[in-house]
Amino acid sequence: MNIDRRRTIAIIGQGDQRKMNEQEKVNILMVDDQPAKLLSYEVILKELNENLIKAHSGREALDLLLKNEIAVVLMDVSMPELDGFELADMIRQHPRFQKTAIIFISAVHLTDVDQLKAYQRGAVDYISVPIVPELLRAKVSVFADLHRKTRQMEMLNRELRSLSSRLIAMQDEERRRIARDLHDSVGQLVATLSMNNGLALMQAEKLSPPAGEALRQNTELVKQLSKEIRTISHLLHPPLLDEIGLLPAIKLFADGFAERSGIQVAVELSPELGRLAPKVEISIFRIVQECLTNVYRHSGSKTAAIKIWSSDEKMLTLQVCDQGKGIGLERRVSMAALGTNNGVGLSGMRERVRELGGTLEIQSNGNGTTVTVVIPETTAATVGVS
Amino acid sequence: MRTRFLIVDDNELVRQSLRTVLQANPEWEIAGEASNGQEAVEVLKGSRPNLVILDFQMPGMNGIETARRILEIAPAMPIVLFTQHASPELEKHALSAGIRSVVSKTDTFPMVGIIEALLGPSEPPATKRQKAK
Repeated sequence: MNIDRRRTIAIIGQGDQRKMNEQEKVNILMVDDQPAKLLSYEVILKELNENLIKAHSGREALDLLLKNEIAVVLMDVSMPELDGFELADMIRQHPRFQKTAIIFISAVHLTDVDQLKAYQRGAVDYISVPIVPELLRAKVSVFADLHRKTRQMEMLNRELRSLSSRLIAMQDEERRRIARDLHDSVGQLVATLSMNNGLALMQAEKLSPPAGEALRQNTELVKQLSKEIRTISHLLHPPLLDEIGLLPAIKLFADGFAERSGIQVAVELSPELGRLAPKVEISIFRIVQECLTNVYRHSGSKTAAIKIWSSDEKMLTLQVCDQGKGIGLERRVSMAALGTNNGVGLSGMRERVRELGGTLEIQSNGNGTTVTVVIPETTAATVGVS
Repeated sequence: MRTRFLIVDDNELVRQSLRTVLQANPEWEIAGEASNGQEAVEVLKGSRPNLVILDFQMPGMNGIETARRILEIAPAMPIVLFTQHASPELEKHALSAGIRSVVSKTDTFPMVGIIEALLGPSEPPATKRQKAK
């Protein structure tokens, strides 16, 4: 069964073959100390075409649960040694089985108190004897399907996360490439233009007044052109990030942001922080970029602060705060869904942090917003970057 | 004695324009050129320049790393970082690496004045190899 499941997981993601998973059999564990009853359950449930597994005691059931992935547990309440309620307690204690559907069957414990006891232990149903075969079949079938769908959702979720993570990495790489291309091609041509203008300016007195004026204007235009290319290139991917490190790149970005937005940015960065792993540096930089973009677009704040420090426990904390009007629930939903032009929004930030094994927390009220990111401090040396 | 320059930039167009700007002064000449940091270190040894003009963003070693390597060989060598990315942050790192000045590629007008100030009236600096001789 496990081999089949693995095969199905591999198939998932190949689009049109996903339907195969809908036919995937799940395991139904039937627990009763009386073989005759187990046999009758088997006969009733056979036409569901699922895998039926029999356990003759609570102990055997626990053993089978540990060895198999079980979708539904159908169990008798009255059993010697370990009764159904005790077994349910033990099952629920295990993190893997906290959501496993348990259906109790009982011929004797039929009071409301008994039923309540069952539901308190996480039962999804309580069936009394005599059993109506169609009813039992229908109930088990609902939970078997639910389990199957949950498995599919989990797999799709994993696929989405992996895709999202690949997209973020590809976006970073693409931005780096475009920034580099801008620098290497257009940037160098503009630099050359600027130098030639400079040379001509040294002899500007030999030109007629209108020609001299045109040269000076051209020189200014080239300067502006260069500044704009530089801004685009730096926003796409800051060269200092790769060449010198995260802290200078953040300081330079914060200075440029303050100049463009009119928002004062205080930067407090722990100076002893050395080079971090490239993935950590780019992620923190992008989160800072996204946070400041949000401050500019939504907060109305005239100030912002960026702090980065390292704790003794080798955890790195980034905090970006503003004194704006805060983020309402509605805004949070749209931020998560849409992001901003400069990134992929809150969900993108969360994805980056999740990948680094960290946490992201947003505190927001009418006096401002604080985004706090805590991640394990992975240095460049840790991942072998020289 | 004419002043000799080593030009280090991965872009041929930039090197060409720098040559034109520097050779406009009859007392200045190009001692050598390199298109990356490693090559710069090699060319430095044979070209005996008085001043190095160095790009920042290059394949392989960046300008700051290259400057450190050059200064290990010729500790007194004046180096000008010539970059599109001139900023106070970069300048801070460049100066702490021993680079004398940072000039923006997009505002080259002050470069000649900066070079003249760096060269000063004193004798040109010698490399370690020259001293050994």
